[in-house]
Amino acid sequence: MRWSRSTSVLRQIAAWLAVGVFFFPIFFWVTTAFKPAYEIFNQPPSVWTFDVTLRNFEEVFGISLGFLRQQEVLPGGGNFYMAPRLLDSLIVGLFSTALAVAVATLAAYALSRMAFRGRHHFVNWVLSTRMMPPVAVAIPMFFIFRDTGLMDTHLGLILVHALMNLPLAVLLMKSFFDDIPAEIDESALIDGASRWLIFRRIVLPMAKGGIAATAVLCFIFSWTEFLFALTLTQTSLKTVPVVSSTFVTSTGTAWGNMAALGAVAMVPAFIFILLVQRHLVRGLTLGSLKQ
Amino acid sequence: MAAVTPHRRWFLSDHPAPWLLPLVAILVVFAIYPLIYNVWLSFHEYASFRRRVEYVGWANWIQLFNDPRMWSSLTVTFIYFFAALALQLVLGMALALLLDADEPGFGLLRGLLTLTLVIPPAVTGMMFLLMEDPQFGVLSWLLNAVGLLTPATPILATPSLALAGVLLADVWQWTPFMVLIFLAGLRGLPPEPYEAAMLDGASWWTVFTRITLPMMAKVIAVAVLIRGIDLFRVFDYIFVMTSGGPGEATYTLSLYAWQQTFSFIKWGYGATLSLLMLVIVLVMANLFIWLAKVRW
Repeated sequence: MRWSRSTSVLRQIAAWLAVGVFFFPIFFWVTTAFKPAYEIFNQPPSVWTFDVTLRNFEEVFGISLGFLRQQEVLPGGGNFYMAPRLLDSLIVGLFSTALAVAVATLAAYALSRMAFRGRHHFVNWVLSTRMMPPVAVAIPMFFIFRDTGLMDTHLGLILVHALMNLPLAVLLMKSFFDDIPAEIDESALIDGASRWLIFRRIVLPMAKGGIAATAVLCFIFSWTEFLFALTLTQTSLKTVPVVSSTFVTSTGTAWGNMAALGAVAMVPAFIFILLVQRHLVRGLTLGSLKQ
Repeated sequence: MAAVTPHRRWFLSDHPAPWLLPLVAILVVFAIYPLIYNVWLSFHEYASFRRRVEYVGWANWIQLFNDPRMWSSLTVTFIYFFAALALQLVLGMALALLLDADEPGFGLLRGLLTLTLVIPPAVTGMMFLLMEDPQFGVLSWLLNAVGLLTPATPILATPSLALAGVLLADVWQWTPFMVLIFLAGLRGLPPEPYEAAMLDGASWWTVFTRITLPMMAKVIAVAVLIRGIDLFRVFDYIFVMTSGGPGEATYTLSLYAWQQTFSFIKWGYGATLSLLMLVIVLVMANLFIWLAKVRW
């Protein structure tokens, strides 16, 4: 449709305003990380102008940037030191992603290329595991982990996060493999190549972009997951979403520290998601819609 | 190929089994077995005096239907589900229509909208907890300034407002999900029907309801299905923002099942509640897939 010049200007204004409303909470949260306590508790709230400090980052990540005096008593008795928690989140995210993508890629290739009885039902079964409420998995998993020693270990959470991401990874990789013409495989089969060789040498290299997009989404879902991490970890590891609520103490909430951790935790996810914009919609819809 | 070991022959064949085996193994161990365990648990209960799990027959399942808290959390879950879904659908479609143009800068705007999707929902809950604080929250201050809220009203501690306060965080975070999916759908529509409608002089509303919506039916169905599955299990926002309060105003099924198990040590009843959720989700989602003819 053609739009006249004035409608175009109106449309520009409306679009920027609407997206601005959506962007504001992120802006406000990130700036909160740079505010000293008296600015956070200010009335009316300081939004555009405020004193800047890096104290919150120093306390949360145990680094020295000159805003914190030596021997000063840290808020929360030093319990706000969160660098190890970022590492926990990273370990769980990376390994669960690697596991989910590896298993899903193998299965998706078979689902995309090999005809077998009940394939349609198998795909539906994988999809239906996506419907399971996390709480219905977390409750029995808590007891199983308690009895097998997987409780409160990185391995336990890695396995559960991989499980959680498998339906997405399988369906998404299947849709990427479906995009690659099956004739390529068939002509290679006629030439005597094995399925495994075709998969490794021909199909996998062609699906590189799809694998990257799948991996990014799996990592983000593990990075942001809350219920399993809350239920299946106790003291030896904690992920970023879970520790976010520990800044609420009996003497008040350490908003600045919490925002500093939250802001840093958002950065890798922001970068990753912008890298896979092209496949984002396909990923969000489990491979059923293509951009 | 003379010396092919047996395990290599598996991978050389055209049989899907070796390819699917790792997936099936993980799903059986981490999805099917816990499910069976959960069903077993729902017929047992932890007896705190004797410190052991005992068989209780159908007691948990009977209790389910005589438990006023279950009914109230089921109601809250459905109100949350439908309110959030409706708001996200309407807002998402409106924004998608607004952004569906090749104006300069719109690519950047679409990129900015994706950012909300990757924030941990628990952190989003904290963001809105800060903004909705009655004393120094920026949102409370704004609502006071325009006269929508009397000063110092604690949004999340007022029974009539708490659910809306939590919904706001959900709507903020997931409306962009709808926008991005609808935008992809709108961009893929063929131009011919629109050209024909322009020649006929059809109004904007007619074009939207008679051409755009029917052609977008599949896209909307997929978005509703995936968002619906996730809305029904809402836990993170509630847990960090209100813990179900005030009273039972924001008490959802997920939270109830979790608390029964881990706060009240009612392992069997918590398992029963989580199974109730599972049954409702499976029935609703499969019914929707069948009615809307969604296919993967």
